Amino acid sequence: MAATTQAVGAEQEAPLLNVRWLVFAIAIYSVFYAWVRWYEGVYGWSAGLDSFAPEFETYWMNFLYIEIVAEVITASVLWGYLWRTRDRNVEAIAGTREELRRNFTHLVWLVAYAWAIYWGASYFTEQDGTWHQTIVRDTDFTPSHIIEFYLSYPIYIITGFAAFIYAHTRLPYWNYQKKGLSLPYLISVVGPFMILPNVGLNEWGHTFWFMEELFVAPLHYGFVVFGWFALAILGLLLQVFASFLNLIGKPLCGEVYDQAVARVGEDQAQWMD
Amino acid sequence: MSTAASVVRSHAEAVQASRWVDYLGLFILFMVLTGSYHIHGMLTMGDWDFWSDWKDRRLWVTVYPIVMITFPAAVQAVLWERLRLPWGATVCVLGILLGEWINRYFNFWGWTYFPINFCFPTAAVHMAIFLDVVLMMSGSFLFTAVIGGLGWGLLMYPGNWPVIGPLHVPVEYNGMLMSIADIQGYHYVRTGTPEYIRMVEKGTLRTFGKDVVPVSAFFAGFMSILIYFMWHFVGRWFGTVKFIKKT
Repeated sequence: MAATTQAVGAEQEAPLLNVRWLVFAIAIYSVFYAWVRWYEGVYGWSAGLDSFAPEFETYWMNFLYIEIVAEVITASVLWGYLWRTRDRNVEAIAGTREELRRNFTHLVWLVAYAWAIYWGASYFTEQDGTWHQTIVRDTDFTPSHIIEFYLSYPIYIITGFAAFIYAHTRLPYWNYQKKGLSLPYLISVVGPFMILPNVGLNEWGHTFWFMEELFVAPLHYGFVVFGWFALAILGLLLQVFASFLNLIGKPLCGEVYDQAVARVGEDQAQWMD
Repeated sequence: MSTAASVVRSHAEAVQASRWVDYLGLFILFMVLTGSYHIHGMLTMGDWDFWSDWKDRRLWVTVYPIVMITFPAAVQAVLWERLRLPWGATVCVLGILLGEWINRYFNFWGWTYFPINFCFPTAAVHMAIFLDVVLMMSGSFLFTAVIGGLGWGLLMYPGNWPVIGPLHVPVEYNGMLMSIADIQGYHYVRTGTPEYIRMVEKGTLRTFGKDVVPVSAFFAGFMSILIYFMWHFVGRWFGTVKFIKKT
């Protein structure tokens, strides 16, 4: 039996929602991205305008090399750790307080994913707009691209797949051996992931057609389509709510819950699809 | 579920746990929608939303409502049908407006020094509230598509006119008749707006006024009805709760 299941008794009195992890999840992205924004503000104008300049290599290409190596290491370690420490008897915690606690930990993972999505898809993507509408691009690796495509996108991808692995290996509702893979979860993390490969088309197109940045250009529509896939968060949240419903539905709703069980069956945590 | 009573220790704890799920779920929904709706918006109507001298173009009134009714329709489909929550459109619009305002302030103004009155985002909360109220009052997706969608398109321009009106005051500049918005665009040059982009805006209706606005708004409203229909089903599809056993 995995250590995670054996430790249930010892962790019985741990808080259901670990607020410190929640604060940490929000803070680590916020502090890091605030620093990134500062770096852009200082070295974007002073060293990022000409890719042939020596300072561009120093301040921007080296930034690119470092971040790519760091991302590969982070993804390998994080995903590897989550997989290696998976609960091999996850059904043993079904209907227990430990399952509720893990559900909250899963929510913290999703909060981190949502926060990372915001920074990547909203903040740094539109920021790329203002940079390209102002500075003529002379390389695929402009300062805004080095932050947007090769930093913020991989970060939300790493976070999303980590949440995906956590849910499917530690929560009975998403038990991959029993139920398979959650379709909305898969779409939620794989769809936005595909934005990154689409960068290849984007850069190829900008180079081949030698076009400037009209943001509504059809060349960019690949990003749009893959962005739509994040809408699967709707189905995923329904699954999250269902997973909680089985655990706190009766104490919360009393007779109403019993009546619903009598009407549609014991497992309330299933949505009609 | 028979074991449910043992999971939480009291009704109060169950209520507290439920509140946490609500708050965290809302945060997750809001931030993911902000990101995905924003990337959708800026790459389908963005150039007309970025710049106030593009906000006097007929494509702004036409394109913005059509492409932006997508996410509200999809989110309404799930939030209303599954959870009876009547704010699917509003949460989308609040999300994208938050993302856009943060960006316009910290990046358009704070990084590349465009004045805020040149790059403020399009106001759309009134459109979203209308769409949500129509759905809440009617309880009908069909009614919401037809009446709500049409209203969504029609409300866009009058809701923004108080903001952009002063920027359309005509002035003489070096012997030419221009608007204040045009002068801003003349001074704050963007690589995305060379003259050839202006030249593709053919026809004689380059600037708004008189009958051009309602014609464009009605066309946008008509198209919004169609897009609402389509994206309602997109939303239902993305609201799937299926599992894949084998791939």
